[in-house]
Amino acid sequence: MSPLKITRQDRAAGPVLHVTGELDYDQAAALREETERLPLRPGQCLVIDLAGLEFCDSTGITALLAARQHAQAAGAEVALAAVPANTLRILTLVGLHQVFTLLPDAGADTGAGGGTGGDAGTA
Amino acid sequence: MDIRHRNNVTITGPAGAPAVVLAHGFGCDQNMWRLVAPVLARRYRVVLFDYVGSGRSDLSAWSAERYSSLEGYAQDVVEVCEELELDRATLVGHSVSAMTGALAARRAPERIGALVMVTPSPRYIDDDGYRGGFSAEDIDELLASLDSNYLGWSAAMAPVIMGNPDRPELGRELTNSFCATDPDIARVFARATFLGDSREDLRHVTVPTLVLECDQDAIAPREVGAYVHAAIPSSRLVTLGATGHCPQLSAPEATTEAILGFLGSRR
Amino acid sequence: MMCRTGQDQGPEPSGKENEPAATDAEFSALLEDSAEELYESAPCGYLSTLMDGTVAKINNTLLDWIGLEREAVVGRKRFADLLSVGGKLYHETHFAPLLRMQGELRGIALELRTRGGGRLPVLVSSAVKQSSEGEPLLIRTTVFDASDRRAYEAELLRRQQEAEKARAEAEAARAEAETARLQAEADRARLADAFTVLQKSLLPDALPAVPGLEAAAYYHTASPDRLGGDFYDLFPVAGDRWAFFLGDVSGKGPQAAAVTSLTRYTLRAAALHDPEPATALRTLNTVLHERYAGGGDPRYCTAIFGVLGPGPEGGITVRLASGGHTPALILRSGGRAEYLPTPGGLLVGILPTAPFVTAETVLAPGDTMLLYTDGLTEARTGDARDSLYGEDALLDFAAEHAPSSPHTTVAALTTLLEGLGDGVNDDTALLALGVPADDPAHRTPPPDGAP
Repeated sequence: MSPLKITRQDRAAGPVLHVTGELDYDQAAALREETERLPLRPGQCLVIDLAGLEFCDSTGITALLAARQHAQAAGAEVALAAVPANTLRILTLVGLHQVFTLLPDAGADTGAGGGTGGDAGTA
Repeated sequence: MDIRHRNNVTITGPAGAPAVVLAHGFGCDQNMWRLVAPVLARRYRVVLFDYVGSGRSDLSAWSAERYSSLEGYAQDVVEVCEELELDRATLVGHSVSAMTGALAARRAPERIGALVMVTPSPRYIDDDGYRGGFSAEDIDELLASLDSNYLGWSAAMAPVIMGNPDRPELGRELTNSFCATDPDIARVFARATFLGDSREDLRHVTVPTLVLECDQDAIAPREVGAYVHAAIPSSRLVTLGATGHCPQLSAPEATTEAILGFLGSRR
Repeated sequence: MMCRTGQDQGPEPSGKENEPAATDAEFSALLEDSAEELYESAPCGYLSTLMDGTVAKINNTLLDWIGLEREAVVGRKRFADLLSVGGKLYHETHFAPLLRMQGELRGIALELRTRGGGRLPVLVSSAVKQSSEGEPLLIRTTVFDASDRRAYEAELLRRQQEAEKARAEAEAARAEAETARLQAEADRARLADAFTVLQKSLLPDALPAVPGLEAAAYYHTASPDRLGGDFYDLFPVAGDRWAFFLGDVSGKGPQAAAVTSLTRYTLRAAALHDPEPATALRTLNTVLHERYAGGGDPRYCTAIFGVLGPGPEGGITVRLASGGHTPALILRSGGRAEYLPTPGGLLVGILPTAPFVTAETVLAPGDTMLLYTDGLTEARTGDARDSLYGEDALLDFAAEHAPSSPHTTVAALTTLLEGLGDGVNDDTALLALGVPADDPAHRTPPPDGAP
């Protein structure tokens, strides 16, 4: 199995988490811990980039929902970027494609707010 | 539970004759009575036994809890008497067994009708105004002696005990072991014997009692014999012209005669 | 002969005349003057006592060890008086009886009292001397200084006691571990019992007998230690109608079981109030959202809720709503299999108000509807992480088996799950509802119970 790796990038519009590897029962907790630590300001948008996601089960879905709860509590938005097809199928099955903002990709840093973040560490 | 096996009970003498139970003290086993029992058995039903933990008793029946007080030994006596359905037998107890007998007689008055106390002592340690002859440290020395002799024996340097050619009954099969006890068991018995205090128990003795003491006894001096006699109103005191703590070995004839005299007075 | 004297040989030739005499003198000096000298100064103690222990004769060596004058001992003291008090007790209770009974005794460890209150460890051997008539006359005793040996023995004893102590400690530790193990086993058994009771409370004891309906259910527990979050039920509502549901709560363990319990009883209560499927799910959504949203620990479920009513031509009308749950599968009497799609229904408990999608169908005689949880469709079929059994395979499986009664269907799927073995790593619930076929040959016995 592939270890989960989470890289954080801070942009003006909000933090971006690049998630690679597998979001399953053993590793989803790492994403939940990472998102709980994220400082979010009202109006920001947390982007979770799933381009490198290889697998996601129901505990992974729960971790994404926990990230959404955390963002909402801070008055921020959350968006999923580059959702792989099989994960999108699951999201659709459970109706979550209506709940998350879905982006084709994480986009580029506009650099407007300055400050590129560093690695947020890995799981 | 097979009491006869557990306590290695042996019975001699004519069936139907009045019963005499001989109880050994701390140190050895029923062989202590070997010079006395045959004479008594001419006219009495003689019951010999070993306390659990001594002699050829069933060691698996031993527990430190039961045998760390004289009550446990008295229970052995009562159980042997019950098993044999004895009717007001005479219990001859040597040394600490004199006190065990006092306890047993109080528990089972229908089984034990008289006591012979051979060199008894209700309290070995000196006490306020009472002279027993020993201190608690002396008892620790005894325990050390037990330990060192056990070591010597277990290291195959045991006393080579010769049979006495003029006393063929002292057969070799009985040698070497009958005063040798597992040191853990001996330690418990020694503590129960030498650290106990049975002075109060003497006051509950109401049966006819013979107190047999020796003229010279390093363990139970004469003042202790006098104390025991004074504490038991129903007692008679006989002082043997013998030396040592074991008159049944050092003066077997005189001891037997005294016991027979007491038994005869009861018939 | 061992030696010769000068007298025997006569004078030697001069020049050497002094030599033999000198040799003899030196040799003589090596010999004991007398047996008495040997007795008194032997490197061990000698002692003779009367049978009562009174000292009759004692050698200088022993007197020297005990630090007493001969006059103070002979005829005045007994052997036991020379011993330490503990040694005296041992003498009276062991040594003297043994000697009396056996005539001889060797190597008994005792301690002498020495000058100044000290103790000298000795090894004592005694023998009884008898008259020609066999009467015991006196006791001869030899006493050896055993200080070194006793120090060695004391060391041995100390080691032995240490070893015994260590053994006892090890035994105690082992016993403690054993007690802990038994306790842990008992705890585990109690916990398993509690889990079983709790799990049972989440599922009906037995499916009720519904007129004109055959029902079968199955519950597969993936891990005995982890309470599963799957649930199902079948129960009467107003009139001659019946309601059913099946779903899957997120997560595992006691928290998940609590959500399952809340879900089951909320749905039953809601259905009694208003059996419209979407309404029941909305009620559940409100309850779960209020209870769990915003806690940082999202709890939600997927569920299908439906009602059964009389249908045309002996059939049964099914009206159901889904909240994010995998679609129901229908095995038609004609041999087809099809999903009853409910796209767009959202997980229950995520949003304050959630869209739920309602669908309707008629089960004709011989038709069977299967509800299942994703333990089945997400069962792994290969080594690859994403090689899952899947909905397509399930549809093919159903098509192969159709037509099939609820019991036969559940039995076939049970066999399928068993075949997947460890691939089924999540709890799986199955609920099959069907209308018995007209043909008595296809008819199965009325439902009589849960799995």
